[in-house]
Amino acid sequence: MIANLWNYRHLIKRLALSDFKLRYKNSVLGFFWSLLEPLLLLLVLYVVFAHLFPSVEENFHLFLLLGIVSWDFFTKGTSMGLNSIIGKPSLVRQVYIPREILVLSSSLTAFMMAALEFGVFAIFMAFSKVIPTSTIIYFPAIFLILFFLILGISLALGALNTYYRDVQYIWAVLLQAGFFASGVFFDINNLPENIRDILLLNPIARILIMLRQSVLYNIVPSTGDLVFCSITALAFLLIGYTIFTKLEPGFAEEV
Amino acid sequence: MNMIEVEHLWKNFRIPHEKRNTVFETLVGLFDTKKGYEEFTALKDINFSVKKGEWLGVIGPNGSGKSTLLKIIANTIRPTKGRVKVNGRITSFLELGVGFQPDLTAKENIYVYGAIMGFSDAEIKERMDAILDFAGLKRFKDTKLKNFSSGMVVRLAFSTAIQTEPEILLLDEVLAVGDMEFQQKCFAVFERYRQEDKTVVFVTHDMNSVKKFCDQALLLNHGEQVAFGDTEEVVEKYAIVSGESNYA
Repeated sequence: MIANLWNYRHLIKRLALSDFKLRYKNSVLGFFWSLLEPLLLLLVLYVVFAHLFPSVEENFHLFLLLGIVSWDFFTKGTSMGLNSIIGKPSLVRQVYIPREILVLSSSLTAFMMAALEFGVFAIFMAFSKVIPTSTIIYFPAIFLILFFLILGISLALGALNTYYRDVQYIWAVLLQAGFFASGVFFDINNLPENIRDILLLNPIARILIMLRQSVLYNIVPSTGDLVFCSITALAFLLIGYTIFTKLEPGFAEEV
Repeated sequence: MNMIEVEHLWKNFRIPHEKRNTVFETLVGLFDTKKGYEEFTALKDINFSVKKGEWLGVIGPNGSGKSTLLKIIANTIRPTKGRVKVNGRITSFLELGVGFQPDLTAKENIYVYGAIMGFSDAEIKERMDAILDFAGLKRFKDTKLKNFSSGMVVRLAFSTAIQTEPEILLLDEVLAVGDMEFQQKCFAVFERYRQEDKTVVFVTHDMNSVKKFCDQALLLNHGEQVAFGDTEEVVEKYAIVSGESNYA
């Protein structure tokens, strides 16, 4: 399967790039418009929480922004994956290409968009005079785990949504819940132990903890967290791919 | 060598009484005991083979299963029963301009369409001038596709498509979309493909081009294989079949 994808690398690159361009309407301003929403969210959450809890984290604005940007990657990636099959009906009906290409290229588009937003985060860091330490070397690995998690979930969602169009509404609600359950705007470790342990079953919560540790707080992420998240990402990839291959033969008739 | 082998091919489609397209409807449907769909047989026991360098014309009235057959050979839909074996790289022109995005420029769309056809960026770059020249659209290379007329879009798609070096080519009514000049260009390309020994499966209603290009023909009617073999004989049979249905 991976050899097959390699044969289609030109197409994957083209699809990912052209969707990326279309997202920002071919303009630099398009990118700035796309930043408005996360920045507004940052402002609101910062104002509310910095006043409610005076003893917040060190560099709370960076803590928040890193959470928002990472969560945004997950939301955008899975939502684009969800629409990757039904959004390109002519590529499904009229020519044969391995359909996992459509999902993979949508995840790559999300990857590029996330890279830009992390760039903005880096600028915020520089302005706040926070210099990353050697623990930043864990960042690419954690980012990659998040990417594979998104890809696995997208494979399942993209296939299911082709057959059942209300999957997208169900997923939108789950994402809403996930925003509160992943510790985007608070530190899960401050919660009562029983609630914390439940929330830590959510791989995104652990990924956010690890990203903050490695980028902001000079802490080496725990092996337990790294292993847990790698295994969940791999499991989602396997489950997602199984669902995808099972449903794929009927795509052209359902799309 | 047989490039395409089709043995005992059947294809059924489900025609739902009420289309269940959501999880909710499917759950409700579980408690609904009556069958929610009808089976429609689009292809019944089709058998044929195409050798290397041969042109096969697929003819028949509307709704006889021609396009379904082409899509199964192209592997976009899968047979219900039977076997389809393809030996070689397929390029399908079931529709021109697959994957075209109105908000991208002509040039960008050529890159995407070329990648779908299996080209790398470097290969498309090499051919870019030839494609734009052939389409007569050099001046508009940086114009967004949404500002093109439909004729220009078709010309752009066709010029890109013919750059491919397919082993097997599937053509579905591509001639129907263009004007006279465009059809002449198509015929010139077809002549080239004939000389280059390409294997082609060709769906059309134009009996003259079937007679002109095809070595064999396959006549379908209501999903059944009525005749397969020598082009002249099959085309004649089609005249009789359609004559009957006209006067029945």
